[in-house]
Amino acid sequence: MLNNDLFSSYDLLPNTWDEMYNNDSKIRTQYNIINSYLQSTSPEVLFKKEELSRQLFMSQGVTFTVYNDNEGIEKIFPFDIVPRIITSKEWDKIDKGIKQRLTALNLFIKDIYHDQFIIKDGIIPADLIYSCPYFLREMKGVNVPHDIYVHIAGVDLIRNNDGEFYVLEDNLRTPSGVSYMLENREISKRIFPGVLPKNNIRSVSNYPNILYKKLQELSDQNNPNVVLLTPGIYNSAYYEHTTLARLMGIELVEGSDLVVKDHVVYMKTTNGLKRVDVIYRRVDDDFLDPLEFNAASTLGVAGIMAAYRKGNVNIINAPGTGIADDKAIYIYVPDMIKYYLNEEPILKNIETYQLGKPDEFKYVVEHIKEMVIKKTDGSGGYGMLMGHEASDAEIKDYIDNVKKKPDNFIAQPILRLSTAPCCIDGKLSPRCIDLRPFALAGRDGIEITPGGLTRVALKKGSLVVNSSQGGGSKDTWVIQ
Amino acid sequence: MLSRVANNLIWLERYMERGNGIISLLKTNFYANQDSPELFPWTPIIKTYTPENNSFYTEDPIECINFMVFSNDNPNSILNIVTKARENARSVQEHISRELWLCINNYYLLLTKIGVQKKLNEEEPIEFLDSLKAYHLMFYGTMDITQERGASYYFMNIGKYLERVIQITDFTAIKLTEIAKTSDSLEQSFYWKNLLLSIGGYQLYLKKHKSSFKEDHIITMVFQDKLFPRSIYYCINKLNRHVRQLIESGELEKNNIEFLLGKLESTIKYTTIESINERGLENFIKEIKEDIKNISFSINTVYFSHFN
Repeated sequence: MLNNDLFSSYDLLPNTWDEMYNNDSKIRTQYNIINSYLQSTSPEVLFKKEELSRQLFMSQGVTFTVYNDNEGIEKIFPFDIVPRIITSKEWDKIDKGIKQRLTALNLFIKDIYHDQFIIKDGIIPADLIYSCPYFLREMKGVNVPHDIYVHIAGVDLIRNNDGEFYVLEDNLRTPSGVSYMLENREISKRIFPGVLPKNNIRSVSNYPNILYKKLQELSDQNNPNVVLLTPGIYNSAYYEHTTLARLMGIELVEGSDLVVKDHVVYMKTTNGLKRVDVIYRRVDDDFLDPLEFNAASTLGVAGIMAAYRKGNVNIINAPGTGIADDKAIYIYVPDMIKYYLNEEPILKNIETYQLGKPDEFKYVVEHIKEMVIKKTDGSGGYGMLMGHEASDAEIKDYIDNVKKKPDNFIAQPILRLSTAPCCIDGKLSPRCIDLRPFALAGRDGIEITPGGLTRVALKKGSLVVNSSQGGGSKDTWVIQ
Repeated sequence: MLSRVANNLIWLERYMERGNGIISLLKTNFYANQDSPELFPWTPIIKTYTPENNSFYTEDPIECINFMVFSNDNPNSILNIVTKARENARSVQEHISRELWLCINNYYLLLTKIGVQKKLNEEEPIEFLDSLKAYHLMFYGTMDITQERGASYYFMNIGKYLERVIQITDFTAIKLTEIAKTSDSLEQSFYWKNLLLSIGGYQLYLKKHKSSFKEDHIITMVFQDKLFPRSIYYCINKLNRHVRQLIESGELEKNNIEFLLGKLESTIKYTTIESINERGLENFIKEIKEDIKNISFSINTVYFSHFN
């Protein structure tokens, strides 16, 4: 029996790349298998599969807690059952592009905290670096093990209407979402039995093993003690911290479990202090060490930065990597790639205007309806102005605010995020998506797990995929 | 093992054990209350498990069970206990078996599901309490067959037996105050039988002593029986064994706990029923409670001693 109703309301968005349909409304070949599977499945069965996926997330505890009136409510990150599929050719380019970009970004961070050739050669203005809140003076002149600053990155990509992938953000500090990449795949195995192998979909389950290998290789010890530092149970990504610690078989620690003595980090065990060699921290730079950064922080460990500078402990990612994923610095990444690697960028940047430059400011204001304005140090989809949605009064207020400190703002043309089929009320509808692959850098190079987190803007017509603002996720299949 | 983790494991088990005990108590009292509400009122149960400032009391069975299971204001409601057990489990997921985590999480999800409270009011209360009890039994079984014998297991068992021994002494102390109020030997035997039912020893008692309720037999069984898993001796013996295993495996430094436990174990083992009667059961219980308080305190210092 064919479920004809399923596709009855699939209205393609104008001027937008759809992942499943090409311009002639034909199904792209990589979607054939899942398409025929869905067509031969009744709406009742699809509903059941959706319900099953929700139950699985709940019972495994793949949830985040929203606190309201002292009462914690368990929520799941909405999951759309229809996978997003990427061809091997497309993946190949993403893989090469991210590796190139991370190589350049890592060289940039090292340069900034040491010789600053890129400033001296006039590629990047010095004041941009020194005014960036993520620039850490505490890291100047510090030699990090194997010169690796960014060990873990979750680069956000979007596909524009020309079919090309563009880099939206580099996310070089403590990117999250990888547990959803892993968990979504486990759910897919349950709800589409047999479909993954038939499609030759590349596995993602090796991620924790690669991560552990890269972490422990950073230490000179034979059997280093690697731990994961979490801000604690109230953090919205706590589920991810417990999952990664469990899958790697390492200890999940909180700041109060650690103590620094004579520039060595220890954890407090039932049988005394035990040395810690490598810390995969999911605590932001600001909170890492109350002696050097935010003095009120109870999430970090006093003295940990001094131990780090002495080389007695490894911190992953290195403190200060935020300098390279600031939105104002982002503009210069293509220049960095040329400067450090003498290569053309494989993945494009989105055209970005610096509002601190009068001519660019003027251009943005004139084309405000086609622009999105962002704060250079913002994240999570907050503090943005979407020109096409905002009222004239909202635009005026925002621009007045920009004028106070124009250097803190950038503008980008509103993008046509590509759409992918989502199961909404028993029918497939196109929804905007992005892609966050996870890259791991270590002594023997960079590895990117084939797949990643595809985030979906579940609201019709919305471009905001952030989980805090009505976003959901999909499993991401890369074909062998 | 991290001190915080050890502490969380102990409390995870303490809460689960407490939940199991409270559900048993509610079930036993429900039946007894149907027979003689004047002997088995609900108020003492509420009083035992709520803080001093609690003002909610009821003699309506469903209202009481509702309060003891679902109330947000009652720190020892099953809902609050399981929430705390789950929070402890959540932060030690890499130390407990996956199955054990799923078991606790599903229990929590059941208790927080919309409409579950309605079920208690509309369905038969014993069936409802049994459906909760089933999660505790599953928890015990899952822990037994999935958890490796190592530091996590030993610390969890310390929590379990510590909570259990506290419960038994508390239950017994409550019954003693009630027994003291009456001189009717039939009523007294009802109380003793009720105690056995609450801690799950009634069947064993019948097997050993048939249906004749002698105070001395009951006291000997509750306090000194070597094979009854809910006797005080059995719990102290297990506590002792698990502490020793932690010391032997290098997870715990040799300290005061071992001495305190060993001392208490021999006291209970070698005190005769005659000498218990001589100094009075209340005093005997008081001494045991004092010792347990010190042991519990020493166990807490395992967690706190490395904080500096």
